Amino acid sequence: MRRFRAWYWLALGAALLAISVIAVASGAVNVPLGAVIDALRGHGDPTAIAIVRDLRLPRVVLGALVGAGLGASGAALQGALRNPLAEPYLLGVSGGAAVGAVIAFAFGATSDAVITLAAFVGGIAAVFIALAVARVGGRSTRTDMRTLLIAGVIVGSFANAAIMVALANASPNNIRGALWWMMGSAVDATWSRAGWLALSLLVAGGALVYFAREIDVLSLGEDAAASLGVGVERAGRRAFLISALIAAATVAAAGLIGFVGLVVPHIARAMGLRAHRPLILASALVAATLVVAADLAARTVDAPTELPLGAITALLGVPFFLIQLRRIA
Amino acid sequence: MLGLSLAACGESSREAHVLRDDFGNPIQLGPVPTRIVSLSPATTEILFTIGAGSRLVGRSRYDLWPDSARLVPDLGDGMRPNVEAVLGARPDLVVLYASPDNRNAADRLRAAGINTLALRMDHIAQFKGATGLLGAVLHDSARAQTVIDSVQNTLDSVRRATATLPHPTVFWHIWDSPLITIGSGSFMNELVEIAGARNVYADIQGASGQIALEDVARRNPDFILAGPDGSRQISSDPRWRIVRAARAGKIIVVDTGVVARPSVRLGEAAVSLARALHPGLFR
Repeated sequence: MRRFRAWYWLALGAALLAISVIAVASGAVNVPLGAVIDALRGHGDPTAIAIVRDLRLPRVVLGALVGAGLGASGAALQGALRNPLAEPYLLGVSGGAAVGAVIAFAFGATSDAVITLAAFVGGIAAVFIALAVARVGGRSTRTDMRTLLIAGVIVGSFANAAIMVALANASPNNIRGALWWMMGSAVDATWSRAGWLALSLLVAGGALVYFAREIDVLSLGEDAAASLGVGVERAGRRAFLISALIAAATVAAAGLIGFVGLVVPHIARAMGLRAHRPLILASALVAATLVVAADLAARTVDAPTELPLGAITALLGVPFFLIQLRRIA
Repeated sequence: MLGLSLAACGESSREAHVLRDDFGNPIQLGPVPTRIVSLSPATTEILFTIGAGSRLVGRSRYDLWPDSARLVPDLGDGMRPNVEAVLGARPDLVVLYASPDNRNAADRLRAAGINTLALRMDHIAQFKGATGLLGAVLHDSARAQTVIDSVQNTLDSVRRATATLPHPTVFWHIWDSPLITIGSGSFMNELVEIAGARNVYADIQGASGQIALEDVARRNPDFILAGPDGSRQISSDPRWRIVRAARAGKIIVVDTGVVARPSVRLGEAAVSLARALHPGLFR
């Protein structure tokens, strides 16, 4: 097994920085590097300034934040639920958020803030439904983690079915908006959106890092955790809720971006990380890099057409993951 | 229509008559725009017809008429346009379809200081309003008015010619799975009426709606209107045999490039529909 070395942190940070610089310097329009640097400082051609400062920069920042959130949330969930297949979207968050957004669309909401808020509320609602189901379904009043996982998946499927029904007879304009959102995209990135996401990540991500020791113990198994004096049920529920909160915030900010939360924690573990505090941080860094790279591809490969970011993350990430998987095996 | 009335008032009225587009945003009537991006087929057709075609620096993928429009750079499908690509064309006027999907792009373009015009083009009246507005922005209201009048004259003469004829019922086939037709909220419904026919689905309030094939059979239209692909589908698919008009081969093939756009060729569209529905007319 590989050992994680301190300089890996430097490499992970450098990779994120490098891809971010490339992402700000490239796009559908060719802006020379010198003009990009001038534009960042607010000098030169107003069109270049608008492109670099109002379009590309918030977009790269939002992409990195979405990635960081999904990576951290996935790492914490896989540990707390002791399931390598756990991911933020498996817990009904994505389906719930999509229902929230689609309901907002159906009522003719066009305001960005309203749709974002509706998606966030929908995601959180789905999580609470899953939690309630897991409590009833489990023995006595305990929250059983396996039941929770199943409940999340089922709530998610129900949400997806509800969306299909809602979209079947919606007007083409509304369908388009909802579909775009379900495919995931950072195209609507603004500084205020990035700011809200950064704030929620700072609070919830900080909480995850703070409770990372509990997740370490949970990942040993419920009985072991109980014998080590950790309140298994409360600790599990806490990790689940915080992770779901982060996932809902990312979904509200950029729609559904699959695969990242599932696979990036495996990549981080393959680098030799076991303890959840560094694992969550490394997952956040790797996922941020992946999403920024995927978004760069989404907006340049077939420019001026934008490709769905949620699909690109998988297209880029899967080969990388398969190589890792072979190495471990 | 607002555009027309204002253009007529000109500079004489100082009242706070601010021109607004269909997103409710004020329109600047500054210098004549010289670099225009038009992201919908209808507005591109109007711009070419009022003589601004040579000033177009960007269009949508579907803007293929007139032929010279093909020489204008393609900036994507015109819905949720790539703002960076639009800015890269360095336009001083951007015209796009006023769909909720395009609101974000319009806001961003305005924030970048570019005069942006979002126009809804779902009715014949909106075609006239949009043409008047574009004429005002281009400082060529006279030419815009000529285009509006010539289209209106043709539509009026078709309406007069068909008014006394018996009105057959029609079903307009837009899409096959799911089966979609036009409702009374579409300019195509207006065209059907002008051409002297009745849409069997005029009870659908919106521009279009999803329906069941059995219901088409029950409403029993005299004619089916469909594009080339749709008509092939209808004649080859055995399920359509339950509709009498399909069995009898009473399918009118329409040129979707002409009849599916609320634009300068509305007159041509009305004439071609009237001819197909009332053989012998306009000989």
